[in-house]
Amino acid sequence: MKRTVRQVFASGRCAGLYNCASCGLVSQRRDGQVPHDDEAAHCPRCGSALHLRVPDSLERTWACLLAAVLLYAPANLLPIMSTANVFGHEEHTILGGIRELWDARSWGLALIVFVASIAVPILKIASLSFLAFTAQRCSCVNGLPRTRLYRLVEAVGHWSMLDVFVVVLLVGMVQFGAFGSVEPEAGLLAFGAVVVLTMLASASFDPRLLWPDEIDAPHA
Amino acid sequence: MTPTLAPTAPRPAPAADEAAALQPRPDLVICEECDAVHQRVALEPGQTAHCQRCEALLGRGHRVSLNGLLAFAVASLLFFLIGNATPLVSISVRGVANAISLPEALWHTWQAGQPLSAMLAAATALVFPLMVIVLRLYLLVPMSRGQLPPRFMQAMRLVRFATRWNMVEVFMLGALIAVVRSAGLASVVPGPALFAYGALTLLLTSSSAAGLHRLWQLGDELQGTRR
Repeated sequence: MKRTVRQVFASGRCAGLYNCASCGLVSQRRDGQVPHDDEAAHCPRCGSALHLRVPDSLERTWACLLAAVLLYAPANLLPIMSTANVFGHEEHTILGGIRELWDARSWGLALIVFVASIAVPILKIASLSFLAFTAQRCSCVNGLPRTRLYRLVEAVGHWSMLDVFVVVLLVGMVQFGAFGSVEPEAGLLAFGAVVVLTMLASASFDPRLLWPDEIDAPHA
Repeated sequence: MTPTLAPTAPRPAPAADEAAALQPRPDLVICEECDAVHQRVALEPGQTAHCQRCEALLGRGHRVSLNGLLAFAVASLLFFLIGNATPLVSISVRGVANAISLPEALWHTWQAGQPLSAMLAAATALVFPLMVIVLRLYLLVPMSRGQLPPRFMQAMRLVRFATRWNMVEVFMLGALIAVVRSAGLASVVPGPALFAYGALTLLLTSSSAAGLHRLWQLGDELQGTRR
């Protein structure tokens, strides 16, 4: 059940209103002045540092995205695990694992792993690059669809960790010496790092930059 | 419980910082995603309020009482302990049976030369969920009896951080996929821990869905009565 609320200002930053990122309390300077973006302030309730905009948000987002892109190749090319039994030794990449599920007729699971491990990381990197790029140019159009895209990226981000858990559990489960064993490989760490880095990228991105106010674009 | 709309009493500040000192505005709520400022309203249980501009969730009326949340936290701790002390799956190949628990699986990964991957999985499936549960208990036990726990602020900030990196639901799906993938080469029986983690997923999701706003508000009220 939705309840309508009344909007009073378009931008808290232009009205000199802080929104505490930690506890959600709104506060303002006692003299009513609008503070500068880099003015140091602390939440009167929880004491956390207050910012009208997340400092260096775009720089940190780009840095995490770049690191994620660099690690994306080893994450997908290196094996994430290897299986061994009396018949030999075999290495498995992420795509190989999806293929095995597909060949075993677990189409639903193959699709889930494909979405979580291949589609989501690529779409996250692409979406966040697009959002950071448009935010950098102070784009005033399509704020709503871009915010929805950001919300989606935030919501699905951690599901990419799926393959890390699958491998850790398979390593634990399949320890039968000559009858079969599973070992983790270096690709797993690269893949886990990609997931963490894309999560850090979306956490550093300040979605309020998608809604430029008069301070960002005075003549818009 | 209706939120108080009256501004809380300002804290005494030194005269020099008087002008720059910040004054709380509990009558307002700002959208975290687009910075639009809204009037704060009291929400009935089950009601939600959304940003007029970007449609982000601004707040939610609570269906579960404080004691209910406490019960959720106690149950979560119980399921967490079962989920780590009992086997996730029993797997047997040619008569050799192997029952494996989550800590054992993490230990194997560590020993097999991937300590960082093991730590990543341990943090998101074990440490952060445990932190969420313990911190919620630490906050809810005294607060449901009308007392403010020591270091309330730090605990609240920590629980927010731990909730973000808690991935119990992803781990749950990963466990199901691991069972399916190994079912081809051996007979696999799900263990009690798998079901315990299933219950833990539901409990943690439903207790964190309500958000922390109510605890911040209650903390304000309790701090007011203590001073």
